[in-house]
Order: sequence, then structure tokens, then C-alpha cells
Amino acid sequence: MHIDKHQDVIAACRFCFMCRHLDPIGNVTFQEADTPRGRALILDKVRMDNENLKNNDFIATVYRSALSGANRYHCVSHYDEVGLVLAARKDIVEAGLVPEKVKALAEKLSGATFTVKGKGDVLYYGEHAKLYSGCKTLSGGDPGKALETLGFAGESQKVFDKFKKAVAASRCKTLIVAEPSAYDFLKDKLDGIKVVHCSECLLSAKLKAGRARKAFYLESDFLKNYDGNLASPRQLLAQCGYKLVPFGTNSEESYSVGEGAVVFDELNPELCEKLCRRVCELADNLKNDLFITPSRYVKATLTKYNPQIRIVTLEEAVAQRKDQ
Amino acid sequence: MIPPNSYLYEMIRSELSWVVGDDHVQTGDSDKLGHSIDYYWVPEVWHDRGQKLPPPDFVVYPASAREVSEILKIANTHNIPVVPWGGGSGSQGGALPIYGGIVMDMKRMNKVLNIDPISMTATAETGINTQHLEWAIEKAGYSTMHFPASIACATLGGFIANRGTGVLSTKYGKIEDMVMTLEVVTPAGEIINTLPVPRHASGPDLTQLFLGSEGTLGVVTKATIKIHPIPESRKFHAFLFKTMHDAMGAGAKIMTSRLRPCVIRLYDELETARLIKRVLGIDKQGAYLVFGFDGPAKNVDLELEQACAICREKEHEDLGTEMGQAWWDHRYKFFYPPYMFHLPQAFGTLDTVATFANIEKVYWAMKNTIRENFPQAAFIGHFSHWYEWGCMLYARFIIEEPPKDPREAVALYNKIWDMAIRAAIKEGGVINEHHGVGLKLGRIMKELYGPAFKVLEDIKKVLDPNNIMNPGKMGFRAKGI
Ligand SMILES: Cc1cc2nc3c(=O)[nH]c(=O)nc-3n(C[C@H](O)[C@H](O)[C@H](O)COP(=O)(O)OP(=O)(O)OC[C@H]3O[C@@H](n4cnc5c(N)ncnc54)[C@H](O)[C@@H]3O)c2cc1C
Ligand code: SF4
Repeated sequence: MHIDKHQDVIAACRFCFMCRHLDPIGNVTFQEADTPRGRALILDKVRMDNENLKNNDFIATVYRSALSGANRYHCVSHYDEVGLVLAARKDIVEAGLVPEKVKALAEKLSGATFTVKGKGDVLYYGEHAKLYSGCKTLSGGDPGKALETLGFAGESQKVFDKFKKAVAASRCKTLIVAEPSAYDFLKDKLDGIKVVHCSECLLSAKLKAGRARKAFYLESDFLKNYDGNLASPRQLLAQCGYKLVPFGTNSEESYSVGEGAVVFDELNPELCEKLCRRVCELADNLKNDLFITPSRYVKATLTKYNPQIRIVTLEEAVAQRKDQ
Repeated sequence: MIPPNSYLYEMIRSELSWVVGDDHVQTGDSDKLGHSIDYYWVPEVWHDRGQKLPPPDFVVYPASAREVSEILKIANTHNIPVVPWGGGSGSQGGALPIYGGIVMDMKRMNKVLNIDPISMTATAETGINTQHLEWAIEKAGYSTMHFPASIACATLGGFIANRGTGVLSTKYGKIEDMVMTLEVVTPAGEIINTLPVPRHASGPDLTQLFLGSEGTLGVVTKATIKIHPIPESRKFHAFLFKTMHDAMGAGAKIMTSRLRPCVIRLYDELETARLIKRVLGIDKQGAYLVFGFDGPAKNVDLELEQACAICREKEHEDLGTEMGQAWWDHRYKFFYPPYMFHLPQAFGTLDTVATFANIEKVYWAMKNTIRENFPQAAFIGHFSHWYEWGCMLYARFIIEEPPKDPREAVALYNKIWDMAIRAAIKEGGVINEHHGVGLKLGRIMKELYGPAFKVLEDIKKVLDPNNIMNPGKMGFRAKGI
């Protein structure tokens, strides 16, 4: 089983309470099961007796995880509890035990196709091509990350192969990626292609600062907790004149409403709504404050459940400054 | 335990759902498993060895004192146990549903209700995670000054129930010194408040009755606690002494000269060699002593200097502020895997407290008991929480390879506890200083209290005639007796 490769994590987390305060799901369901300890305990049961994988409640718990990297980032020894859950999802898929709603979502994601348009030496994969002059653009769905997080390794690889083909056809050697989940997925995967996050590219363009403006920056789970706390988004926003104020009560919690699980809102909409409600409850002045997120997923989700929130993506924030 | 497929089970489930809503009554295996194991070594080893753990019948998540009250009324009607659960981080088995019934998980009650900057107090629901509470209070510009190693795991209610303590207790007190007033739902379901201030001459102190009652006398639903300004300065200093005895003399003198350190911590020679080396990288022989002061910068410098002068009276190695600060910076690291002791090791924290006149005797009594009777066990200890009159001993026994058979392992474990705690009590120690009694040490309560235990038993009987609240814990009656 895939979880067997994560025995060190099971052994460490199953009786450890030290990061439970950071589990986004545990913080809204309050269930012991929805913490690294809770999940490690059930997967320990599965390790002891593989028949336990058939337990529907265990499966539901595994698919409730938001796969936030905040816990791993906090952990003194950085035990990869997310890796354990992903392994369990693969085991569930391979055992043919995957819940219907997950299967349907996976089928939809498997249909992704990718097209390249425009002219240029650099390929841009995102929604704001206007910000990058002289770039080709690549569009389509998720490049395979979402399927990977659902446990569909084979299907993820097939989608990624289609993506890779499109990149190769573009003949570009640099790929700019906007969505943090895609950046995380692609950054070490494309041989011979330099993959950069859009913030790194825009930062090097040395944009002029606009009028100083206060904004709350909602860290991306991927950029902060998966990708070494990338500094370029904050530097870029500062360069553009935004005075960034940390959101919430602390710098450790993930406020990215399930971003780590990529399609979390489609999978667990009730939970996602709770995550969004928590973010809004923590806001000082929801209607008047400006929020910036690097993730389109985060923007779309927060707006869906709180239409009055004023939130823009990182690229939109930069575009607004450029327009001034 | 109620058979899950019975109509009685469904009846109780329906009644609970009417109070808290369907979503907040959990009966699934995942959550039941999480609530069958707390931080007590026995359920851990039981799980590890594939044994079946007693699960709760229902895990219920109330959102208000009124809901708590309704749940307790249902439990009284059906005569089923209710076990409050905070973060499950207790080490004494206090939150385990040993007779099934309802686990009342308090974490939904997590709001900070008020911060009073005039009186410097804060009121919160007791299911709040203490790190979340501290963050919220810090955002308002203050601090609870409650920094236990389990700050991120436990709830305010759990600390109240266990008389818990934090790293800075020497100045800011244990939780029982921090609490102003409590809201409690009694076992009968009545919602009561204790007096609004902790100092008065209006009869005995009800607040203190519920502090440390471990869910046996009711459910604490709201608490007002003191809060503090963020100190201008906080500094640490560390010394190494040849022997623990010398270090103890220095620590005691700091306290009896009435300096006000926020923390003193003294590690015996073995723990210095094992843990201080492993976690802080300080590889020295002797007893490591660290202390800190906080407050206005001038006062801190002055008091720190006086404390250092006391330490320099004995043969010592001055490790300076840096190695003191290193301890503070890594104070929680001791508790993360792999630094914390873990299975297959058997380990237990034999914490107790005594006067300065007795504390070393207690230490040696415990150590000798372990050494003479359990040669397979190592004994280490540090002294963590200091008072004007004495200090707390945080001793640990560790067995690298306990018996494979879970029954034998647990029997050995229980025997060590019995003998070590009894040895401590003989020399003026008590069962526990800040982790509570729980399931683990209930059997020794009568011995500790003598005839006075009947007073506690009578209070329990009057408040909880059906014995629904956390039966079998803290030395009180088991369910059905
Ligand atoms: C890594 C680690 C480090 C620790 N360090 C410390 C430390 O520094 N200081 C310290 O004091 N302890 C420490 N502990 C022990 C533990 O955190 C404390 O005992 C804490 O008080 C338990 O709180 P909890 O919310 O987890 O309670 P639980 O374990 O859930 O419950 C403990 C007891 O309280 C009762 N209870 C819980 N909530 C309520 C309520 N609202 N009303 C009535 N009864 C209730 C339960 O029934 C049970 O009897 C540590 C534990 C761990 C895991
Ligand atoms: S990730 Fe680290 S801190 Fe969190 S439960 Fe696992 S071992 Fe403990």
C-alpha cells in the first residue's frame, strides 16, 4: 500500500497534538478525526489491517482533508502528513473504493485539453495575458494537480502529458504560471523548461508604485507552506505601492479556504463555506477592506460564499496599479 | 455501552440531534477513534497493540451553555455517562469514555466574548483552543501569559478542569490563579455562575471547587481570566551547577529572597545530559538551571543581576543569556516527535509538588523507588514551576523496551505509578501538580486525602446523584456503583 511508505508519519502523528490548532478543517468541524492526529490514527488502523480501508467513514475523513501545508510547515520535524493523506487517497482509488462524487469529479478533470495561442518566446499560463507583452498563452484546465490530489495518479499523468505536449509545441523555454497550485505541480516537472511564478516575472519588470494603499494579503497555502514561503508576491505588491497588513490573528494559519486540495469547493462545498465564513469572521471590516490573494481559486470561493468581500488576485492588483 | 442498532440508541441520538443539530452528533468510526485515545500512555499502547478501545456511543458538540444543559438532562433521563472533552491532550485518561455514553466535545464553544481593558480581563467560552485564545488576546495588545507546552493542543476548559499550568507560572500563576469567575452547567443541567471576583469573604470559594474537578462536577462553559500587558523586556540566563542539589539551593534562594522570576527551570544531571543536549545542543555535565524575568526593562535588568549573583555564590559555570534564551526559543520543541518520548518506549510524567524543605526528599524517594524496583526504567527530572515555598517536580520514567504483551506492559506501568507516587506522598508530595488525576491515579486519591476525601465524595453525590459526569475518574465512583 502507498501509506506504508509513510510509516514514519503515522508513527509521529498518531499520538501528537502539536499542530492541531492549524488544521483548517479541524478548526471548522471541531472533530478529532479532522486533525493530523485523527487521520494518522485511522490510517494506522488501516496499516494494521488493510480491510479497514473499506470503512466508509474513514474514506470520508480522508477526502475531507484540505491538504493544508500549514501543519507540516509548523511541525518542528516537518512530518509530511499531507503526503500520508495523498497516499491514502491513492490506495482508496486503486482499491476501487472511491466515493461516487470523487469519481465524477475525476472524470470531469480528466477531460482537460490545452491550447497555445499568440506569439512570443515565453509561454504564459493564466488569465491575465495582457500583463505580459510578447508571450504566448496556454489555456485549458488544471494540468493534473487536481487529479493528483484526488488520488488519481494515472489520470493525473495522462492530463499532464497533454499539458507537456502543448508546452513542447509552443517551443518556449520559459513558462510563467499564475495559479499557485499549478505552479507547485509544474515547478520541477518540466525538463528543460524554466517554470516561474507570475510574481517573480512581474517583480523583475520593476513596475512603478501607485498611490499607497492598504490591503490584507491572504497567503497562498502553496506558495507559503509548500514552496518555501516565496517572497516575490509580497515584494511585488510592495513594489506596486500596496501596504500589506497581515490577515487574521496570526501568521501560521492557512486562510486559503481549501486551496491545498485544489478542487476542495467542488468536493466539499459545505466545508468550504465554513472555511470562508471563518475568514470573514476574522476580517476587521469585510465590506471596506481590500483583500489580495495569489489564487483565483481563493478569490472565486471567497466571493461565492461572501459576495460583499472586496478581493482581487495578485495579477488583478498589479493590473489596477498599472492602469493608474 | 448502548447497542448501536437498538431503538434506544436511535432514541437518544434523536434527542441529542434535536438539541445540537444532526451535524453535531457524530457516531462515525473516525471520530469515535479520535475520542478513544487521549495523551495517556495506556490507550496509546492499547491501540498500538491492536486492542479494542472503549469508544463513546455519541460524540456531541454543543454550541452554548443551554445546549450543554439540555444534553445533561437527556443523559440524566437515560442514565448514561457524559465525559467532557477539550483537546484530548490530558495525560491522565481523564477524557476517556471508559463506559461509553456521550463524549461532549467542547471545541465548538470557542468564542472570545469580551476583553475588558480597564480591569485587564477577558471572557471566553471554554472550548477555545488556548493558542487561538492567546492570538486573539495578543491582537488586542495583551497576553494571557498562559504558555503551556500544550498551548496549541488544549482548551481553556481542559486547563481549568485539570488545574493546568504554563511556562511562566512562577510569575503569572497556574490557571487557578488566572481565573476570575466561571460559568458552570451542573450535572443536573442548571447553569450557574461563581462570584465575579476571586478574592472575597463571601463564603467558601465555589470557583476553586470547579477548578480541578475534571469534568466530574459539571461542565465549565465560560471563564473570565486575567490578561496582562506585553512586557517591555523579557530576559533569560542559564547556569550549570555541579550537582542538582547546588542548583536547587540557588533556585530556592531566588524564590525565598522574593525576586519575581517569570520562570525557573532546573534539570537534573541525567536530563541535562539527555534532553538539554538533544534539544538545545548544550553538551555539558551537571545540572542546567535557567531563569527569566519580564516587565519594565530596568526592573528586569536589576532582578536578573540579583538572581545571577545568587547563582554565583555556588560553584558554577555561567552559560550566559544566550543559552538561557535558547531554552526559551525551543521550549516547545521537547514535545514534538521525535524529541518527545514515544512508543515502543513506556514513559510517564510523575509530576508532583512539595515545599523546599521536602522537594529533594520527594525526588530521591521517587528515584530510589524506580531504581530499586524497576531496574529496566530510567528516571529523569526537572523542576518547572516555582513558588515562594517550594516547587514542582516534573519527573519521568522511561522504559526502552516494555513487555510486548499489552496487559503485561500496562500492569508494569500501573505498578510503577503506584509505587512512585506513594513514595512521593510519604515525603510530603501530592498525587499531581498540573496534569490532574483522571483515570490513571484515581485509586490513590483516598490515601492522599484521608477522611477528607469523603467531603469531596459527598459534594459529588449531591451535585450528581445519578453519577453521569465522568464516572470512575478522580477517585469517584465507577458507573453503576
Ligand atoms: C505535548 C503536550 C504537552 C503538555 N504540556 C502541558 C503543560 O505545559 N502544562 C499543563 O498543564 N499540561 C500540559 N499537558 C497536558 C494537557 O494539555 C493538560 O492537562 C490540559 O489541561 C488538557 O486540556 P484539554 O483541553 O486537552 O483537555 P482534555 O484532555 O480533553 O480533558 C482533560 C479533563 O478535563 C475535562 N474537561 C475538558 N473540558 C472541560 C470543560 N469545559 N468542563 C469540564 N471538564 C472539562 C475532561 O473531562 C478531562 O477530565 C500537555 C499535553 C501534551 C499533549
Ligand atoms: S505534523 Fe508534526 S506536529 Fe503535526 S501531528 Fe504530525 S508530528 Fe505532530
